[in-house]
Amino acid sequence: MPDDLVASLSEVARTYGGVRVLDDVSIDFEPGVTAVVGPNGSGKSTLQRILVGATEPTAGEVRYPGATGPKPIGYLPQRVPFRDGFTARETLAFYARLVDDDPDAALERVGLVDAGGRRVEALSGGMRRLLGIAQAVLGDPSLVVLDEPASGLDPGMRERAFRAAARRADGDTAVVVSSHALDLVDAHADRVVILGQGRVAAAGPLDRLLEEHDAADASELYRAVMESTGARASDEGDAGDGGGGDGDATEGDGEREESDDAERDVHVTGVSDR
Amino acid sequence: MSGRLSAVATVFRRELATVIRTPGYGVLAVGLFVALGGLLAAGGGGATGFVPAVVDLLLPTEALVPLVAVVLGYRALLTDAASGELAVIRTYPVRVGEYVAGVLLARTVALVAVVGVPYAVIGGVVWLTAAPDTGIFATHSGVDSPLLYLRFLAFVLLLGAAYVSLAAAVSALAASRRSAIALGVLALVGGVLGGDLVLLRSLAAGASPTTVPASIALAPNGAFRGLVFEHVIGVAFAPEGGFVATGLAVGSLVGWTLLGVAVAGATLAFGRRVDAAIERVRRGIGD
Repeated sequence: MPDDLVASLSEVARTYGGVRVLDDVSIDFEPGVTAVVGPNGSGKSTLQRILVGATEPTAGEVRYPGATGPKPIGYLPQRVPFRDGFTARETLAFYARLVDDDPDAALERVGLVDAGGRRVEALSGGMRRLLGIAQAVLGDPSLVVLDEPASGLDPGMRERAFRAAARRADGDTAVVVSSHALDLVDAHADRVVILGQGRVAAAGPLDRLLEEHDAADASELYRAVMESTGARASDEGDAGDGGGGDGDATEGDGEREESDDAERDVHVTGVSDR
Repeated sequence: MSGRLSAVATVFRRELATVIRTPGYGVLAVGLFVALGGLLAAGGGGATGFVPAVVDLLLPTEALVPLVAVVLGYRALLTDAASGELAVIRTYPVRVGEYVAGVLLARTVALVAVVGVPYAVIGGVVWLTAAPDTGIFATHSGVDSPLLYLRFLAFVLLLGAAYVSLAAAVSALAASRRSAIALGVLALVGGVLGGDLVLLRSLAAGASPTTVPASIALAPNGAFRGLVFEHVIGVAFAPEGGFVATGLAVGSLVGWTLLGVAVAGATLAFGRRVDAAIERVRRGIGD
C-alpha cells in the first residue's frame, strides 16, 4: 500500500434492482489528479458516489487512510444541486460557515467574484459548475471528487473548470474527476481509471498506461483499452468533446438512484446537465 | 457556540431563509386567516367572547392546522435529498441529527408564523369586537378570558408541531414529490380521522367508556381536543374536568413530535444501508 494513499476502494460492487453496476472494483487514490473515464453507463458516477459515501456499496470496502480534517471529502455531483432563490455568495456562505471558511475567497478562486450576487438559477451552466467546484474545495479537503465538472461546457469554460479542479491537487490532496473530455485528461491527469461495464478495464499513471498500450494520447489509450475489453468506445467523446454526461446513477439520495441502464436510455451525449 | 449548535444554527438559517423566500407560505397564512375569520363570522361565537370563539374554531382547527403543518413539512427533507444536495451536505461536518434538527426547527418557526399569527390576529379581533352577551356570560360563569384563548393557541401550536414533525418524517421516507404528497395526505387523513375511528371501533367492540379519557389522548387530534376541553372550554362549564389526562395528552403530542424526528433521522441515517442490504438480498435471490 502506498504511504501517501488518500482513499481506496477494495473489491467494491454495487447493484441496482439486482443489476450489477459496479463489480469487483479495487482502486487506490493518491495525491494528484485521477481521471475516471468510461462509456455512458460504465459506473463512473456510482463509483464516485461510493467513494464519497453518498452510496453504500453492496460489497467491498471503502477506506480513507489519508483523508483527514474537519471536512475530509469534497464532492460535486454531476448535476449541480444548489437551491434556487439563493445567490452564489449565499450558497457558498452556507457551506463555508460549516467549515469556518471564507466564501469570498472561494468565489475568487474560481473567478466568480463578479457573479457572487447573482441567483443560482440565473447562473450559466458553466458558472454553476464553477460554483460547485468552489463548494467542493471549501474546508481544504484531502479528497476532492468531481463528477463531470466539464460536462456541457464550452471549450473555454471546460478548461477553466478543469484547471480549477487540478489546482487543488497538491502534495496532500487527491482530486478524482470523471470526464469524457479526453483532451483535458491528457492535459491535467496524473492517473487514469478506465471503466468498462462496471469493471476496471485499466488503471494507473497516465504515462505508464500510454506506454503499455502504445498510445499517443488519452483518446488512443481509451480506444485501445475499450477494444481490448470488447466494450464500445463510441460513447466517449474525442478530444474536445466535453459533452456527454455519464449515464451513471442519478445524484439523488442513494435510495433514489436508478440503474445505469435506465439512465442510459434517457441520456443524450452533449446534453448531460439535466 | 459549540460545533454541534453551530451546525444546527447554520442549517436552521438556510431553511428559514428558504421558507421566507417562498411566497406560497404567506398565501397559506392569509388563506388560513380568511378561513378562520369566515368560520367565526358564520358561527357567531367571536362576537360574544373567547370561549365561544374557541368552540366555533375547535373542529375546523383539527383539520386546518394539520393541513397547514403537512404543507409546511411534506417536502422539508425531500428537497435536498431529491436534488442531490444532501449528499453534498453530508460531506461537511454536519450529523444527520443536526441537519434534521435545523430543518425541523426552521419549519416549526414557520408554523408559529403561518398558523400562530392568523390565530393571534383572530384573538385580537375577538378581544376588540366581542360584546358582552348576558346569556352567554351567565352560562360561562364569567370566566371568559384572553388567557383561555392563549391556552388554546398554545395547544394549536403543539398540534401543529406534531404534524410538522410527522410530515417531515414522510418527506424523509418519500422518494419523490408525488409520493411525498400521497404519504402526506395519508398521514393527514390517518391523523385527523384515524384516532377517532379506532376509538369508536373499540367502544363498539365493548371497551369501557371509562377508558375514553386515556385512549383519546393517544392520537394527536384526540389529545388536542381533550386539552382544549379540559383547559379552555371545560373551565367555563365543567370545573371538575376529566375530559382527558393532561399529562398524557401533552405527552402524546410531544411524543408524536419526537416520533417524527426519530423516523426522519433514522431514515436519513440508515436509508443507504437499508437500500444496500435490500440490494444484497435481491442479488442473492437473483443468483
